Amino acid sequence: MGELTDLWVGVQNWLFETFVGPVIFWLGQMAWYEPAYSAVEFVMLGVVQIVVIALGMRFFERRWPLEKAGDDRLIGVDRVYTVLNKLGIVPFAIFVITYPISQEIELLMRSWGMAPPRLERLLPWLGDNVLASFLVYFVLYDFAAYWLHRAQHAVPWWWALHSLHHSQRRMTVWSDDRNHVLDDFLMTLALVLFSQMVGVQPGEYVSILMVGRLIESWSHANVDMSFGKVGERLVVGPRFHRLHHALANPDERHIHDHNFAPVFPIWDILFGTAIYDGKQRPTGVDDPRVDADNGRGWVVQQVTVFGRFLRAVTPRFLRAPVQPGLRPPAE
Amino acid sequence: MKKLAIAATTLLAVVGTARADSVLVLNSEEASYSILSRSTRTELVRLPVGREPHHLMPTPDGKEVLIGSTATNELLALDSKTGERRRVVSNIIDPYQLGFSGDGKWFVTVAYRLDHVDIFHADGFRLAGRIFIDGLPSHMAFDTESKTVFVSLQQSGRLAAFDLATQTLKWNVPVGNTPAGVLVLPDNKRVLVALTGEDGVVVVDPKDGKVTGRLQTGKGAHNFWPKGDGRHWFLSNRVEGTVSMIDTQDMRVAGSIKVPGGPDCMDITADGKELWVTQRFLRRVAVVDLEQMKVVASIPVGKSPHGVYMLKSGPAAPGAPVSPAGGPLRAVSTGSGTTR
Repeated sequence: MGELTDLWVGVQNWLFETFVGPVIFWLGQMAWYEPAYSAVEFVMLGVVQIVVIALGMRFFERRWPLEKAGDDRLIGVDRVYTVLNKLGIVPFAIFVITYPISQEIELLMRSWGMAPPRLERLLPWLGDNVLASFLVYFVLYDFAAYWLHRAQHAVPWWWALHSLHHSQRRMTVWSDDRNHVLDDFLMTLALVLFSQMVGVQPGEYVSILMVGRLIESWSHANVDMSFGKVGERLVVGPRFHRLHHALANPDERHIHDHNFAPVFPIWDILFGTAIYDGKQRPTGVDDPRVDADNGRGWVVQQVTVFGRFLRAVTPRFLRAPVQPGLRPPAE
Repeated sequence: MKKLAIAATTLLAVVGTARADSVLVLNSEEASYSILSRSTRTELVRLPVGREPHHLMPTPDGKEVLIGSTATNELLALDSKTGERRRVVSNIIDPYQLGFSGDGKWFVTVAYRLDHVDIFHADGFRLAGRIFIDGLPSHMAFDTESKTVFVSLQQSGRLAAFDLATQTLKWNVPVGNTPAGVLVLPDNKRVLVALTGEDGVVVVDPKDGKVTGRLQTGKGAHNFWPKGDGRHWFLSNRVEGTVSMIDTQDMRVAGSIKVPGGPDCMDITADGKELWVTQRFLRRVAVVDLEQMKVVASIPVGKSPHGVYMLKSGPAAPGAPVSPAGGPLRAVSTGSGTTR
């Protein structure tokens, strides 16, 4: 483990000292020296994730595909999303906006004396166990992500954005990053603030992102697999999450309002949103305007979905008269 | 149960016997501190501490070392000889950098993110005055008369001087790009300021802040540490990846040591043979042999190690020279770190 850490940090340091650090120095922006170093690690993690997806997860999709036939052209745009996200291009843009906002909020709270200590102060034994500490913070982070995900479905303007993620009819390991940048921004801001509140440290945050996003990529895989009867109740797998992407039908108009959990299904089990029925369903959104996302490129998707968002935030009396539901109609 | 007991006993034994030659390192991005063995050059134990611990400072009596936990607004006090936890001092807002004046009467913290300088009566940590000042206050140093504290302002490129007794600003002048470490020389007539956004230090007149000289050391000049002879100081150059030894009498670079990985804070062993330097980016602490003037070991610690301190000290000897931030010469890591 120590050798692996050395190798990882050695590469990060070399990349930084050779390419990034000198540029920061030349630009006279030394206040960004440390954040830039962290950004290098973020990009490295993205490369690792892309390799794991392309070589590891894709192997299972090719060997045991759930949907054997379909329009593979629909998948291409998801690869673009994955590369833009994993290599930090979209996250960088989000970071530039998110960082000052989250900093200001954190500083305001701290100037009021509101500085929540880490959990280790309440549970000292956590401090003696790195793995336990990581897991506890991971679970807390996932808990926040679960409720934010529910909000993405429940709040009409947020669903207008998030429906892009659900519109894909050909789900694959590349689908996880298919999100509108505004949706990414809102989720990032909320999760960063939550992490600061509970005391997730930068190192833990990176680990949580690394492990969590890999699990989420896998949960979108085009395979009918799970971690077993017990395991699928501990960690989200493709079978569990596929139901969340299911196309609504007359008998199950709100089927996609289940199995929200990003990583730990315990939240769905506890809050009554879990379904384990093993049925295979087609995926997508039963709204023609949302379904039209399929086949579009990254730029067109971003523009049209932003239009959906604008319509959703526009007061009803100002909207165009015809608004076929942005969400599946209520029962 | 038996295993647990053995493990606990072993841990206690390790921690208990480690102190005589132990070194404390703050892992700023892990909310922990490591205790290393100087003799075996290994990490003995890693313990949790608040959030974002960056710097530390021994108390004037040498009995405790204070760790600034910036994001939880508190100081954790450890026994400076054993490393055991003594107490927590609350309501110290954003204690990024901290230091005692040479006479032990004043305790000062700079809130890097919150843009203020807090001056406390050291006795009981009673706040005497808070001065808000723009520009990311980061490093500090006291004059030898304990009347003035000099604070570098990283973002605005300035150096500010505050009167301790009245808690008022005396002057605030531009000195260069991203000033970091501040050092008041024993003659009390020169203040050196390391310019992290440039490649060296400037000499400032403490009376009015006028820049009177300049010395090139290396890119990313950042933080000072005394050699202990009253003449030579070490200076970490974060971008260059070196530590320069400055002869402050002749104002020249007397030596240079390659220390990769963004070298930052330093401390020197009591025998003056080794300089320990945190390597922020490599998650290690470098051990520099000062006879050979080269790194002879590099010890893995936690993420982004920042402050470093030799657990050993007693009270400073009467008349002993002061460190850059005013504490006993060898007992501190006032260093700093700034470019977070």
